[in-house]
Amino acid sequence: MEKNPKHQSTEGIINDDKVIIVNKLYKSFGDNDVLKGFNLDLKKGENLVVLGKSGSGKSVLIKCMVGLLYPDDGEVAVLGKNIPKLDQDELDHLRVRIGFLFQSSALYDSMTVRENLEFPLRRHWISKSKEEVNELVMEALKNVGLEDAVDKMPSELSGGMRKRIGLARTLILKPEIMLYDEPTTGLDPITSREISKLIVEIQHTYQTSSIIITHDMACAKIVANRMIILVDGICYAIGTYNDLEQSKDPKIRPFFE
Amino acid sequence: MFKKNRYKDFLKETGEISAFAGRFFKEGFKPRYEFAELIRQCFIIGYQSLPLVCVTAFIMGLVLTVQSRPTLEEFGAESYLPAMVAISVIREIGPVITALICAGKIGSSIGAELGSMRVTEQIDAMEVSGTNPFKYLVVTRILACTLMLPLLVIVGDTISLYASYIGVNLKGVVSWHLYYTQVFDTIDFSDLIPAFIKSYFFGFVIGLIGCYKGYNSKKGTEGVGLAANSAVVVSSLLIFILDLIAVQIADLMGLT
Repeated sequence: MEKNPKHQSTEGIINDDKVIIVNKLYKSFGDNDVLKGFNLDLKKGENLVVLGKSGSGKSVLIKCMVGLLYPDDGEVAVLGKNIPKLDQDELDHLRVRIGFLFQSSALYDSMTVRENLEFPLRRHWISKSKEEVNELVMEALKNVGLEDAVDKMPSELSGGMRKRIGLARTLILKPEIMLYDEPTTGLDPITSREISKLIVEIQHTYQTSSIIITHDMACAKIVANRMIILVDGICYAIGTYNDLEQSKDPKIRPFFE
Repeated sequence: MFKKNRYKDFLKETGEISAFAGRFFKEGFKPRYEFAELIRQCFIIGYQSLPLVCVTAFIMGLVLTVQSRPTLEEFGAESYLPAMVAISVIREIGPVITALICAGKIGSSIGAELGSMRVTEQIDAMEVSGTNPFKYLVVTRILACTLMLPLLVIVGDTISLYASYIGVNLKGVVSWHLYYTQVFDTIDFSDLIPAFIKSYFFGFVIGLIGCYKGYNSKKGTEGVGLAANSAVVVSSLLIFILDLIAVQIADLMGLT
């Protein structure tokens, strides 16, 4: 019988070590100031949801964490390393320890599901023998419940399946940190719920620390250990889902209504 | 105002393309080398363009011969037909037509492929998985285009000459031996080498512009369409400009 992930205890998973520290982050595009001194810290093993309206700079924030964008000012320390100061090789080594699930899943559409999953393994020479690679591929697919899709092309998959395969491709390198960019956007409520539960299962199975960017409250309710509300480029509020739900603040209330 | 902006945009894009080319040379010669992807791209760009290049070259050779005959007949210079066609094909028509066909086929496909990869975040995904997408996608494609185009030109030229032999024999009888001797008595290395060298540059330009347009594609489906379209237009135009420069250089060096 499927366990309800909400009822899985996070005791012993989360500890106080900080795996990501964002300190006074500034980022603007032309005249548009997106992040204006944003602060955040992610504890080891926790699921941290960053909530904000569309265009509030949530995706910019996590793209700064993997070096896809560079901040104008401020510190982004991931696993003890300040991202803007790393050279390309150091950044590539660090990126292997970080998983990133894109909003559009970003599957390589010229490759089959198997080739998509093998790609990061082959690139990092993690496993050389064919059997070993196959085993890792099947294990990652099993963990997202899609072993049957192994020889399909991405174009043959539904939105939810693509998300799962995107997740499997990221998990195959067994990352310590997972960054989810709007994982439930564009999915129906049932699939969204399944993906949300999967995020919690991954937290337990892979012991990952995760940042989940979303504006989907149903997803936030299922996955969040802690939540941050991003308003006007700063960390406006921080707390558990229940704490924030009780808030009477006019900038927080609209998220829960 | 509008004109001023267009002028500024043109200069800006020229600068960006030059920087993109500079990055290709900088990253292309540093390890890690993507041999497997390079060979895959050579197969796609070279082998899969072969049928189109062959058909076009055959038609060009045949048409050129058939259409040149009446003019030469007027001067009683019909026997110069193989020599004239060979010079035209080897020096000019072979490389330029092959390059234009490849700009259409390869340039647009690279522009659209990289453009759609950019729009659907596949390039970002590659980068965060610790793979340098510039090396994996751009360097391999530009190199494959540069290496494959001269080979396609050689195959195209050969087929054009064979088609010309058929064209000569449509109205008259010329043996293969006679045709072959006339052709090779006319052409020498000063015809072949400049043509061969400029094919490398044509290949480089097709790969460079296709990759630049696709890699820097704007978001959305319109961006992908625009990337594919402008890859063909800009690389075709650059092929003619390069051809003009190549002719001038060959002329100055006395290779005429």
